[in-house]
Amino acid sequence: MVSEQESQAILARALAVANADEADAALISVDQNISRFANSNLHQNMSEISASLTLRVIVNGSMGVASTSSFDDEELAQTAELAREAARHSDPLQHFSGLYQDHEPVPQLATFDASTAGLSPMAKAHDLKVMFERGREAGVQFAGAYLTSAASVATSSSHGVQRYAQLTFVDATVIALRDGSSGYASRCARRASEVDILSLGEEATYKATLALGHNEELEPGAFDVILEPPALAEVLEWLNMIAFTGQAYEDGSSFFVGNLGKRLAGENITIADDATDPDFLPFPFDLEGLPKRRVPLIENGVIKGPVVDKAWADRLEMQPTANAWHLGSPEHGSAFHIDVAAGTATRDELIASTKLGIWVTRFNYVNGLLEPKSALMTGTTRDGTFLIRDGKVVARLPNLRWTQSLVEALTRVEGLTKERRRVATWFNMFGGTIAPTVKVRGWNFTGKSTS
Amino acid sequence: MKPTRAQFEQALRSLRNPALRYADIRWTATHQQHVRVRNGEVDALSATVDRAVGVRVLIGNGWGFAATSHVSEEAILQTAQRALEVAAASNIASTADVVLSDIEPHVATWASAFEIDPWSIALEKKIEHLLAATEPMRGDHRIHQVSGDLSCYRQEKIFASTLGSYIDQTTTEMGGGIEAAALDGGEFQRRTYPNPFGGDYQAAGWEFIEKLDLPKKAPQIRDEAIALLAAPKAPAGRFDLIVGSSQLALQVHESCGHPTELDRAMGLEISLAGGSFLQPHMLGNFRYGSELVDIVADATIAGSIGSFAYDDDGVPAQRFHLIDKGMFVDYLTGRDTAPTIGRKSNGTVRAESAARIPIIRMTNINLEPGATPLAEIIADTKRGIYVETNKSWSIDDLRLNFQFGCEVAYEIENGKLGRLLRNPVYTGITPEFWRSCDAVGDRASWQIWGLPNCGKGDPLQTMRVAHGAPAARFRNVEMA
Repeated sequence: MVSEQESQAILARALAVANADEADAALISVDQNISRFANSNLHQNMSEISASLTLRVIVNGSMGVASTSSFDDEELAQTAELAREAARHSDPLQHFSGLYQDHEPVPQLATFDASTAGLSPMAKAHDLKVMFERGREAGVQFAGAYLTSAASVATSSSHGVQRYAQLTFVDATVIALRDGSSGYASRCARRASEVDILSLGEEATYKATLALGHNEELEPGAFDVILEPPALAEVLEWLNMIAFTGQAYEDGSSFFVGNLGKRLAGENITIADDATDPDFLPFPFDLEGLPKRRVPLIENGVIKGPVVDKAWADRLEMQPTANAWHLGSPEHGSAFHIDVAAGTATRDELIASTKLGIWVTRFNYVNGLLEPKSALMTGTTRDGTFLIRDGKVVARLPNLRWTQSLVEALTRVEGLTKERRRVATWFNMFGGTIAPTVKVRGWNFTGKSTS
Repeated sequence: MKPTRAQFEQALRSLRNPALRYADIRWTATHQQHVRVRNGEVDALSATVDRAVGVRVLIGNGWGFAATSHVSEEAILQTAQRALEVAAASNIASTADVVLSDIEPHVATWASAFEIDPWSIALEKKIEHLLAATEPMRGDHRIHQVSGDLSCYRQEKIFASTLGSYIDQTTTEMGGGIEAAALDGGEFQRRTYPNPFGGDYQAAGWEFIEKLDLPKKAPQIRDEAIALLAAPKAPAGRFDLIVGSSQLALQVHESCGHPTELDRAMGLEISLAGGSFLQPHMLGNFRYGSELVDIVADATIAGSIGSFAYDDDGVPAQRFHLIDKGMFVDYLTGRDTAPTIGRKSNGTVRAESAARIPIIRMTNINLEPGATPLAEIIADTKRGIYVETNKSWSIDDLRLNFQFGCEVAYEIENGKLGRLLRNPVYTGITPEFWRSCDAVGDRASWQIWGLPNCGKGDPLQTMRVAHGAPAARFRNVEMA
């Protein structure tokens, strides 16, 4: 991590050589350790320290961006020249009113935990060794990854808006394997004390051994499904890319276009971007320096609007939503803290209410580009797919392919749990998804089982 | 800025641990420039430079890897010490013996070839080229968006190991493409050339962009995007399917390239990407495809982005069969995985930069051309579908059950291409699909496609790979 003083000093040197009408810059430094294991063996162990600076300049209303991982004066000057050159060759941003220049206070959020930052690879290896030994006693082998990181994020602009935050993050994934069956468990948090790798091992083992030896197959068709948070999170990440971003809205491919204010989902569906929820993965500002706030995306089934960065907010005549996670990125706003409102049920109640259905732990390789206007997606299940009959889990199912319109599925959500879980994703160091387990009627399974 | 050989050797000498079995150190400087125009104006213009140093050590049976973006002499030495600490931690929970395949030390310098340095072309010219390529696609009210992309990439890399290797490699690449997006009511269609997601990529210079001739293709792409709006939906059911070169390249990537990665087969990538249905006991005796199916890994093809001289283990680039006349015969391997199947590394270990650990990656994984011209394959098809250009992709964690969507399809009736069809989606099971291959296009329909965004590893690494493929026909394939 880079301290606030040092970060702001580097950013000040970058802005000093920007020589532009306006400029802003972000400096992100990450110190992370990732312990990967497979076959109950720690086979990859990585300690990565990185820092990068992105400088954005505005020249005659046009924007240019350049980034570097070296911060000496010569490199910063070259980076500034690259950014200015880009701006000189760009067209003026439509209706652009300038970079963010208010000095609103950012929310006070607990984002850093010193004990998490100090967790050593050695301590993690000791925990993994205990988990491996317990797995051997239970007849399972483990695969997974255990990441801890400490990062600093600093922004500064020629308008004097300066932000700084330190954040810690822990993300553990455990897959238990036994006799061709697998089970999955994952947790992420700002604090390592909230992620117990040994408990994850037990949860994954439970999933790997549940209904072991009771295997059934299903012909393709529509079935009620119970989707656990990792499964729901993966389709919501795609929904973000094809529907929530400023770019998807502006280019017309989002199903939000023409539907603002209309009820397209069930009344029990409320989805927001919310980095201010202390129970989620909080973060106080975006990289343009705007304070984070709760941004409704779908509220009680009604489409509210996309997330947009400052440039696209001006272009679309909207209010910026503080969702710029890369300066000058082509998404022009991305929902990095997808927050699905809870319901009132328990997972057991959802299962008990299902006459014939499928309980899905997680999805694999979802793709949401089939037909963006209906959010038609496809994917497969993995690491724990179970048959529910007459309210009881009666058998393991092989992995199944599904093809389903999410716009339709969101009208058929029959129940949501009160408990929600955080789910991380590989491309998002700031947040992820927090979601309940949901029950959806008539999920369309299209492919025969394969494994 | 580039570390000296003496600095590298000093860092390797600083690794004082009696149990040290092996160590290597890499430095990379990665330069990228991206230009994107949209609807007649510059939409994005960015430049990045990333430098990193990574040190990998093997202590006993524990691997340790440490990396930093600070590339000073002091930071390199500190990084080497961190790698030792991480390896010591690994030893606590390492339960498998690590065996490395033998390798000779190499001292070499290599650079990919280009005629016109991508960075020698002024930004104005790049922008003008894209505007000229996208302007012909505008004008019709149904064309909602047109865009064009140009990408320049250069990675300088130095590798040194305790075996005495010292290898300096530089790869230069260019990529580009155009896209038209049409919108009419609730129907949205995209058409791209030569490939989606930024186009096609080669280890080449500006001459590759001139060869693509984007402006010439623009009117056709516009017309096809508009025509797709009103085209009938591709039918569901079982059809004889002819898959065009670029789509078949992705099919090779997903259903042959990934499952032949030995680390996946060994379960080492299960936590994120998944495993493989191709297990070691199937080597040499599993019929993957029909006798017409020859799939080769070839890291030596000049001008392709999956090529290099030495991998990140310091093993020379190689050419070998993965699938030989339909039989599964080999994996992609590295020094620490090949011995588990009794073989030597075939040199496919790479990292996206020195900031990340090297893992098994595809190189150029190619379906070899057959003997039949594409026109003859079509003429020989009584009732079928022709599909081209990928739109969506999904495959299960063992690489068996796949589903691909394409930008366009055409009916084939009595040996002739017929109506344009929208939203074609085909699905299948990998070996069943490849075994149903009964015609492979000749060299004229064969093309190599650069794919600069293959994701694997945790943290995810984006690797630059490529696939050569002709068109080919598959019998009785399920269309969704």
